[in-house]
Amino acid sequence: MSLQAVLPDTISGLLGLEGVLGDIVGGLVGAFLVANIMLIMTAFAGPWAKRKITAAFGDRIAVNRIGPFGLLTIVTDAVRLLSKELIVPEGVDRPAWDLAPMVIPFSALLGFAVIPMGNGIQLADPETGLAFAFAAASIASLGIVMTGYASNNKFSLIGALRAVAANIAYEIPLVITAASVVIFAGSLRMSEIVAVQAEPLLTVAGVTLPTWFAFVNPFAFALFIIANLAEVGRNPFDIPEAPTEIVAGYQTEYSSVYFVLIYLGEFIHIFLGGAIAATLFLGGPAGPVLPGFVWFTIKIWAFFLFTQWARSAVPRLRVDQFLEIGWKGMLVLSFANLVLTAIIVGVIA
Amino acid sequence: MSLEEQQSDEPAELESGVSRGDELADLLGDLVVGREEHMNAPGLVIRPDEVQDALFKLRDEAGFDHLSCVTAQEYEDRYESIYHLTKFDDRTDEVSVVVPTSKDNPVSQSAEPVFRTADWHEREAYDLVGIQYEDHPDLRRILLPETWQGHPLGLDYDQDRPQIATLREHANPLEEDHRAGDSNTMYINIGPHHPATHGVLHVETVVDGEQVVDLDADIGYLHRCEEQMCQQGTYRHQIMPYPDRWDYISAGLLNEWAYARTAEDLADIEVPEYAQIIRTMSAELCRIASHMIALGTFALDVYGDFTAIFMYAMRDREIVQNILEDLTGQRMMFNYFRLGGVVWDLPEPREEFFEKIRDFLDGLPQALEEYHDMITSNEILQARTVGTGVLPPEVAKSYGATGPVARGSGIDYDLRRDDPYGYYDELDWDVVVEDGCDNFSRLLVRMREVEESAKIIQQCVDLLEDWPEDERNIQANVPRTLKPEEDTEIYRAVEGAKGELGIYIRADGTDKPARFKIRSPCFSNLQTLPEMSEGEYIPDMIASLGSLDIVLGEVDR
Repeated sequence: MSLQAVLPDTISGLLGLEGVLGDIVGGLVGAFLVANIMLIMTAFAGPWAKRKITAAFGDRIAVNRIGPFGLLTIVTDAVRLLSKELIVPEGVDRPAWDLAPMVIPFSALLGFAVIPMGNGIQLADPETGLAFAFAAASIASLGIVMTGYASNNKFSLIGALRAVAANIAYEIPLVITAASVVIFAGSLRMSEIVAVQAEPLLTVAGVTLPTWFAFVNPFAFALFIIANLAEVGRNPFDIPEAPTEIVAGYQTEYSSVYFVLIYLGEFIHIFLGGAIAATLFLGGPAGPVLPGFVWFTIKIWAFFLFTQWARSAVPRLRVDQFLEIGWKGMLVLSFANLVLTAIIVGVIA
Repeated sequence: MSLEEQQSDEPAELESGVSRGDELADLLGDLVVGREEHMNAPGLVIRPDEVQDALFKLRDEAGFDHLSCVTAQEYEDRYESIYHLTKFDDRTDEVSVVVPTSKDNPVSQSAEPVFRTADWHEREAYDLVGIQYEDHPDLRRILLPETWQGHPLGLDYDQDRPQIATLREHANPLEEDHRAGDSNTMYINIGPHHPATHGVLHVETVVDGEQVVDLDADIGYLHRCEEQMCQQGTYRHQIMPYPDRWDYISAGLLNEWAYARTAEDLADIEVPEYAQIIRTMSAELCRIASHMIALGTFALDVYGDFTAIFMYAMRDREIVQNILEDLTGQRMMFNYFRLGGVVWDLPEPREEFFEKIRDFLDGLPQALEEYHDMITSNEILQARTVGTGVLPPEVAKSYGATGPVARGSGIDYDLRRDDPYGYYDELDWDVVVEDGCDNFSRLLVRMREVEESAKIIQQCVDLLEDWPEDERNIQANVPRTLKPEEDTEIYRAVEGAKGELGIYIRADGTDKPARFKIRSPCFSNLQTLPEMSEGEYIPDMIASLGSLDIVLGEVDR
């Protein structure tokens, strides 16, 4: 049972369409809208916000020539990147090499299908919503393996192997930590997880704290954010790219549009990581005064800012240390968290 | 090369009246077939098939544990290799082992079994001059491509002959498709275009998974014939601009000092005290700028992206650059030193200039504290650097490592103190030594050396401020044309930003050197890379390379 009508239903309702036709049209228009919201955000994040943020950390100014605050750089960069020559190296494994840049961004976009963004913007609200989001996000690993294997480049290969190792090592703690939230919420359905968090937790000096799971279980939140950082491959876990070690990792051989697609995928992936974290731990689109969608945007951008902060200020771990933390630290802690949560929930309920 | 030719004005006269040369000749006994006198050290002539015996004896019995440089040159009637030996404990105790070989059979025994550093030095001698070293483990060309014809510093080398250099040497030595093979290793070319090689360095690496099994640094991409160019310039004016281009990462004045010191000793020029203080101050400014870059790029190698630390280091280095620009009119290629002094006095108004330096020095402790907060006290960075890239002191000595690399391995060796020049022995400062032998120690040494340099600059500024106006003598009287006597030979070194930067000059009576040999600290330091990296992970190899702080302009010359 959905608490709120999902976006396709709203659209078909507005258009006055019924039945299968309504589902199809509503679904397509809704998907188009959601995908574009994310693409616009990424367009801001990639060519502009990332530069500005990194520059601020490094005492620089960054883009400021074209448009107010250099914002039109987004347009010029789009033209620049699209008009560059697409270099296809000899010996690449053609279908896989071409497909990978599509698999990476679209898998991340797919994850947004079940994310409640507030103001009724949610494409679908299946009972297994959370599992779907993780499953969709993991498809990106497949794309990375394709890039690494098809590039016929040793740096790419090492990068892809590192990415897979990282994904296996950190996906498990990530999902296990999310499972502890599911135990609290009693559902995998995204809208219900959000709804559970709306109840008041305690009131301090007239300010009522909601039962956001970040407040209920800050330890799980910290674990989730760390594992998420590893998932999206940012410092201190940017092992798969590691520019000073393996040039650019799995994306070494990609140029022009393919490069843009892979980078697009990475940024959407960061936003998806932020969106899942916001949904599970920060009450989804909930927040005072401002409309839900604005809060949702603020939350996922906060996560984006956090990844850029880490990127600018934290050194990179060595690959073996990275895996050691994943298998020996995060995994153990996340299971401990799960068991503890289960006991607490079992005793209270 | 006449036998037992004694000179009364020998520099290392001992109390007993027996010269250092006689003492060492006695030690070697029959191995010595002749004597020479270099301006810096006695020279012992050794037969080409007894080099190892002589060097073993000098190393184990006389304590000469530092093969500073190997100079090779061709005369009309012979080839000659000179092994410039000295001690890490006593830099002023020097000896030159001279090994002549005949023209028609230029084969000489290799010193590599005694000093590991001889490996590359002898390869260079083979490459540029054409002497063959017997018993050498890997006698290949080092600076020029393998296909090069002739030896460019030889006397009969024809410069006009076209050279055909193929790309064969860069071919992947493994099969293109090795699915059929059962090897577990992979060969990767790290560089010459790679984000972490700090220039055009090519590291041929064999990896097993992520671990480095074998690596070989391939250098020479930036070889610009600096030695030859210096041999074609006049002592007085034409050589001084070149040193700026060796270690071009803002260490220009330190390099210039290497030439200034050598040539001034060669031509017996006395530098006025005032000029020495200016030199000391400006050279230390260069050292700070150079160490800042080293710090920033090392952080970059470990951090990965163009991140905050690098920009902070650049920001603080920029202040030094501005001061140096005020002083010399240049930001990189200073050309500020002259034989016998410096080219001009401090910029007017002097108060403003001093103020600028003082402001910088006042802000420096805070900046360093910030670096310590962000770098050295960061646990992830410690996890990455402590205990990685280990270079034990004995190995470092054998490879002739100097500068911060040696001092990071606990070797208390700094030419500014051990072989004083300039104004250093009048000032109050300390040699920084760390015992960790790892990447972290080398990083710490550089950061602490910045503080010591600041101390030196502070004292120099105080001295310069109070210097009487009518005694500001920046330049000694130096003849317009310098023609040192024929066959005078000298090897002198200074403490450059990366270590011992030495120059060997042989005069032939004209106004240009007959042989000009540069001992580059980076060249020797880079040789230690396989020792530090084999068996470690690729990221640690990159970090070790960063901690060596090499500049390819100086490695290749």
